[in-house]
Amino acid sequence: MSIRSRDNQKTSILNASRFYRNLSTPALLILTFLFFIPLIIVLSKAFVDENNTISLKVFLTLLTDPYIIRVISFTIMQAALSTIGALIIGLPGAYLLANYSFRGKKIIKAISAIPFILPSILVVLGFVIFYGNKGILNSILIALFRLENPPIQILYTFSAIILAHTFYNFPIVVSIVSNFWSNMPHQTALAASTLGASKRKVFTTITLPRLVPAIISASALVFLFCFSSFAILLVLGGGPKFTTIEVEIYQRARMIGDINGASALALISIVIAIIILFLYLFTQQKMSNTEELESTMMKNNGVRKIEKLRNKFIVTLYTLFTSLFVLGPLLSIVHRSFFSQKSRSAAMTFTLDNYRKLFISASAIDGIALQSLTNSLIIAFIVALSSTMIGVMLSSRISSSNKKDQLGLEIFAMLPMAVSSVVLGLGYYIISLYQVPISSFKIVLVVLAHVVITSPFVLRSMLPSYRRIPFSYRQASFTLGANVRQTFFSIEIPLLKGAIATSAAFAFAISMGEVNATLVLADSSIITLPLVLYRLIGSYNFASACALGSLLMGICLLIFLAVEFIKKEN
Amino acid sequence: MEVCKVKTRKILNVLLLSVLCLSVGFASGNQEKMDDDILTVYAYDSFVSEWGPGPIVVPRFEEATGIKVNLVSVGNGGELLTKLELEKNSPKADVVIGISHELLSKTLSSGLFLPYESPVLQDIPISLQFDETHSLLPFNYASYSFNYDSEELEDIPTSLDDLLDEKYKRSIIIMDPRTSSVGMGLLEWTVKVYGDDYLLWWEGVKDNILTIADGWSSGYGLFTEGEAPIVLSYITSPVYHLMYEDSDRYKSTIFEEGNYVALEGVGIVKSSNQKENAKKFVDFLLTDAQLDIAIANIMFPANKHVILPPEFATIQEPIEILSLDHDVINTSRDTWIKEWVEVMSK
Repeated sequence: MSIRSRDNQKTSILNASRFYRNLSTPALLILTFLFFIPLIIVLSKAFVDENNTISLKVFLTLLTDPYIIRVISFTIMQAALSTIGALIIGLPGAYLLANYSFRGKKIIKAISAIPFILPSILVVLGFVIFYGNKGILNSILIALFRLENPPIQILYTFSAIILAHTFYNFPIVVSIVSNFWSNMPHQTALAASTLGASKRKVFTTITLPRLVPAIISASALVFLFCFSSFAILLVLGGGPKFTTIEVEIYQRARMIGDINGASALALISIVIAIIILFLYLFTQQKMSNTEELESTMMKNNGVRKIEKLRNKFIVTLYTLFTSLFVLGPLLSIVHRSFFSQKSRSAAMTFTLDNYRKLFISASAIDGIALQSLTNSLIIAFIVALSSTMIGVMLSSRISSSNKKDQLGLEIFAMLPMAVSSVVLGLGYYIISLYQVPISSFKIVLVVLAHVVITSPFVLRSMLPSYRRIPFSYRQASFTLGANVRQTFFSIEIPLLKGAIATSAAFAFAISMGEVNATLVLADSSIITLPLVLYRLIGSYNFASACALGSLLMGICLLIFLAVEFIKKEN
Repeated sequence: MEVCKVKTRKILNVLLLSVLCLSVGFASGNQEKMDDDILTVYAYDSFVSEWGPGPIVVPRFEEATGIKVNLVSVGNGGELLTKLELEKNSPKADVVIGISHELLSKTLSSGLFLPYESPVLQDIPISLQFDETHSLLPFNYASYSFNYDSEELEDIPTSLDDLLDEKYKRSIIIMDPRTSSVGMGLLEWTVKVYGDDYLLWWEGVKDNILTIADGWSSGYGLFTEGEAPIVLSYITSPVYHLMYEDSDRYKSTIFEEGNYVALEGVGIVKSSNQKENAKKFVDFLLTDAQLDIAIANIMFPANKHVILPPEFATIQEPIEILSLDHDVINTSRDTWIKEWVEVMSK
């Protein structure tokens, strides 16, 4: 190696950290201004009592109230059970996707991402149309077995909550665990079985222990989502028996105007969420330390076709079951969107009226659906673009800093996921009172808020892939004389293509379905698709809401399918 | 090296900038001018909604008077006052539409509203004028009612007590008073009828309730999906199904002890610098806009001279229109909710 190139490499590595630090500045700025400042403003209200003096009184009253304690422990309990449910349904799926190749794999992956982005009111109604007392499932069973009463009465009980949460979240388990699993180097397991270990032994002593970090990190995410669940719990659970912290926050912040109490509760829930986040991040780091992306050649060796008849049967059974489970409620929404009654007493007949009403009706609402669709698509596009960029910037920064900084930065970047949109909305609200001239930049604010909301998800799918890029690649690139910029753009970015595509899709889909922050920030001057959807349901137009919901699902399905194909090309 | 670092930063900055420009460009398309002569009106979301009265009423007002209106949606009805109180140091609204009568005490003690003795008040029945100070003027109303599916339910309940009967087991959908104003209406209804014993009714009705929804929308959606034959809604809800679906399947009930009322008021914000325009808007809302509001909100107009579509005539008058004293509501509301949650979560 010539002296010149060695010098070159030295400066490169020195510059590398500076390069990545600069790279992440815009991302950190956005997060600070659009997330942390509003959050801190809200949370600071928790330390003020009704006489406007600083005290811990609000906390003490809350934490000594047996009702609040019950709410907190119920919130944790239901989230834990839902997580277990998601693992039970999700892990077999992860196993299948990681180890076998079969027809329809891509479609399964794409479909399983959909529940995740649906507005919760649509999930609730989809569940009711499918599992309800007069639902599709019960009607079929009643007709088949000539029953008198609906045989499946699962809704409006505690089990319904767990069922809905499982439905919502098991795709997270499938995607995280299967991704990790299929990227796991295969040699160790291969070596073990060459040395005579039985299949079961290989699984329990080699594969499973290595999967634990992936399982824990998926669980932590699922737990966080269920932790802040709201409408699903109230409607499908059947009432105040199942009150979560989120409901209490909503009631205090929006209905009573008890901002101090709401802030204190928000702080309590954030502390719990941070503990879970720690767990998640800790295992994430572990995952990246133990497994580096080995040669891509080895990667696919583990994937095989299903040959044994028994296995085929099991696979089919699982696929059928999950399809029924996931597709049931989703297809119910699509189904309903194509049917309507001539009058309320008549039978359901096939019709395109619900769609026609949205797009070509001749009333005052002409074109509103189309306009909301365009708005949503544009916003989602910009959000996907920006948050993916921010995701890349942040992950490069995070993975190039030292351990301690890493954890801090990651918590910083993942925290938006742990904060309920009611709390965040409240923060924006309070800030907008300080004569900040935001009204003319509503759309920018909406986009930025969506970026904040989506960035943890982007980071979640980006960072593990970024960490898997072996350091030796970077070293080699520097050795060969490339500078930091070249390395970043021509080595790292191409290696991240799959992760970038996934992140962009998630950001797009989440932005398409977001309604809370949009409503607060734009006070409805920007009409988005989910907003119209809520309004339709709120004005007796249930079937048209289903039509719009189907449209939303269709768009997201297309996006996720596109991602699967981009990944394949990689 | 330096050069190339600068270059990278430039590229990224250009990229980010272009994204921002894109959004700003898009924003300018949507931007409304914040001139001083625009009247800012806050309303609950379903008023502003495409299917609500806002998009019909506001342009008509603008056309008639030449005054520009900026109609702003502020979540649900319960959130209006909260938002105004949060904003009290930098108020933006001139007029607020949709504060319900039960929040009157809170509204008055906030001191944010300007009493307005509108000349239109003489066309509004005294019984509807819930605010003697005229800080809030009623613009529409409807009683709450337990509505039923006439194809599923044979024994029609005629009183709150009836609903306690075993035959209605898991047949009723209501809303949560913590998150829904309709739900709160029922809670007040029971306090009005049973006084201190109201919790006994709730204790008794528990097994007959299928689910307690977070809001009227999801609750009513469940009802029309056939999940339960009885739902808490408005006495006027059947009018919608008659007018737009030509169906008389869903009916409302009138109860022996009377039905509790939902009265919605409009008020002028004291700090407004366009009080004259605000007054014009309120007058318009209480006269020319009344029919449109009634048809879009499916509620009765406050102005007695409005000629309604025939479908409204099918709605029976409640035997008695009930409401609680707003001071009592103000002092006891939180306690009721607390006790309610205690009973219902056991």
